[in-house]
Amino acid sequence: MAVLDEPIKEVLAIKNCIGGEWVESKGELIEVVNPATCKVIARVPISTKEEINAAVEAAKEAFPEWRSTPPLARARCLLRLRELMEERFEELSRIQTMEHGKTIDESRGETRRGIENVEVAAGIPSLMMGYNLEDVAAGIDEYVIRQPLGVFGIIGPFNFPFMVPLWFAPYAVAAGNCIIVKPSSEDPISQAKIAEMTEEAGIPAGVWNVVNGGRDVVNGMLDHPGINGICFVGSTPVGKDVIYRRCGETGKRVISQCGAKNFLVLMPDADIEKTIAACMTSFFGNTGQRCLAGANLVVVGEGLSEHQYEALYDKFVDKFVSVASTIKVGYGLDESVQMGPLRDKKKKERVAGAIQKGVEEGAKLRLDGRKIELAGKWPHDCFLNPTVFEDVAPDMVIGRDEIFGPVASIMRVRTFDEAIETIHRNPFGNSAAIFTSNGKWARDFRYNVQCGNIGINIGLVAPMAFFPFSGMKNSFFGVLHGQGQEAIRFFTESKVVIERWF
Amino acid sequence: MEKPSITASAVINFAEKLEEDSSRFYEELAKRYGQSKDLFLSFAKESIDNKIFVSRTYRETITDAIEACFSFKGLNLNDYKFETTLAEGTSYSDALRKAMELEEKASKFWLDIAEQSASLLATIPRAFRKVAEKRSNRKMKIKSLFKSS
Repeated sequence: MAVLDEPIKEVLAIKNCIGGEWVESKGELIEVVNPATCKVIARVPISTKEEINAAVEAAKEAFPEWRSTPPLARARCLLRLRELMEERFEELSRIQTMEHGKTIDESRGETRRGIENVEVAAGIPSLMMGYNLEDVAAGIDEYVIRQPLGVFGIIGPFNFPFMVPLWFAPYAVAAGNCIIVKPSSEDPISQAKIAEMTEEAGIPAGVWNVVNGGRDVVNGMLDHPGINGICFVGSTPVGKDVIYRRCGETGKRVISQCGAKNFLVLMPDADIEKTIAACMTSFFGNTGQRCLAGANLVVVGEGLSEHQYEALYDKFVDKFVSVASTIKVGYGLDESVQMGPLRDKKKKERVAGAIQKGVEEGAKLRLDGRKIELAGKWPHDCFLNPTVFEDVAPDMVIGRDEIFGPVASIMRVRTFDEAIETIHRNPFGNSAAIFTSNGKWARDFRYNVQCGNIGINIGLVAPMAFFPFSGMKNSFFGVLHGQGQEAIRFFTESKVVIERWF
Repeated sequence: MEKPSITASAVINFAEKLEEDSSRFYEELAKRYGQSKDLFLSFAKESIDNKIFVSRTYRETITDAIEACFSFKGLNLNDYKFETTLAEGTSYSDALRKAMELEEKASKFWLDIAEQSASLLATIPRAFRKVAEKRSNRKMKIKSLFKSS
């Protein structure tokens, strides 16, 4: 199938957006490479600490006027932003495919989820309301007002360059705060485009800033006393030991959403056909590079004889492997492609290393994604095909650690309780899903499993914008989560007023 | 051998083209056969509306969580291709016959994709069914024109 027109025609020079100005950074420039074609599509600066300081000053300066702007007026700015995103929906989606590598269906899905967060945040006049009670004592009334805090830093990951910062940014801004977004330097173009649109949407200068870069920018944010809180999505080592710890030391609010190793549990009464389709999306969607991706598939033999269990297991695994082997891999702007490349060559090498480790540990490699077959003639640098292992033990590296690539590990357990124990032995707790027709199993799973996002016959447990994006154990550090009402609470302070008139 | 799935994006692209081609086909019919000009023009407009309706539904519904890349299993889009070019000198009744064939194929396409994606693509299959119904109604209208021609 023909490749869709690429919206980026020449190498873009990404700048920082500070106080409404597009400013060239003094930092060194690094290349942004389209992982499917290996062509350079942009150059992004690794900004300096001084530049993050300048952005904080600009945000602090913009804050008093923005916080006193009526919530309805702030909401209207977001509604205009939403309109602009709708108008440029296709361009924004194709940019994500170019900078990240995901398929166009996945990019459009990401654009949609991002827009949904802007829509939800535009409900700020209702979302931000406080509450009150008259006559808490004779002639005394008490009420709660929600007030913005000031300036927040948002540190985005590479795997959802458009959507993830929007789990936080529109809520922070709607509530009257100012923000500094630091996109991943691997794919910073989407956030630059959003910043351009905020200007057009009428959001005042200094409210929505973007500073590109790496560790120095993150450290600058963490150390700066002018930043009231940090939202981070990324790996567990950074999220726990750097972001969460340093925010604790400096007294900042924090949402730190981290890594995962998600289990999908197949019960004997599951609808196999529909489960397989859901599994393909879960394990191989976004090339496995998402914190909600399926990693381990547990086939449960509860109530079955040995013979029946073997038959179920073989039938399911054969089908799983067979469907996975038909997945068309290539450039995501080819609309027939079902899986794109990894974000870069190093990531591919890391995933290939995990596959080799699985072989060495004795798991049975049923489908080897290192044998690359592509739709179209693209450099193989960042591509892998889907990989499926069976007979994986939970304590093998491939069964335990986050791989962040298109690798499915299939495990056997005999009972439902064993399946839950297996999930709980893993240190992560982002999401888990069960496939069954039995309400009792589904209910027990929802009730007992210690994961933040639970799927019942859903392979990819991605919360809608009006629900929090949850997470537990080593997958989340903080109290309140991104999206919806919890984000509003995170970005506001509850001030209590007790009032009496003589 | 497992039948491969095709992506929602590829199906929507095909659907958009089908409606664009259909629109052009009926515009041509309206030019050539004045006796049914208004009806043909209404079909041409309806096809453009169908395209907008389906694209909008897809874009408003698509999220990363639905099985967009795996919803259409074993669907061969070549089975639904239709040559809409009308040869010079085609008679009115032959043109109507061709229009009926087009509508037959189009409504089958819309119904097939609705059925295939029913449990996986949320509200998108409902849009497909709605267009299938419109194309089926269109066929009935052309059939009655054919009978009275």
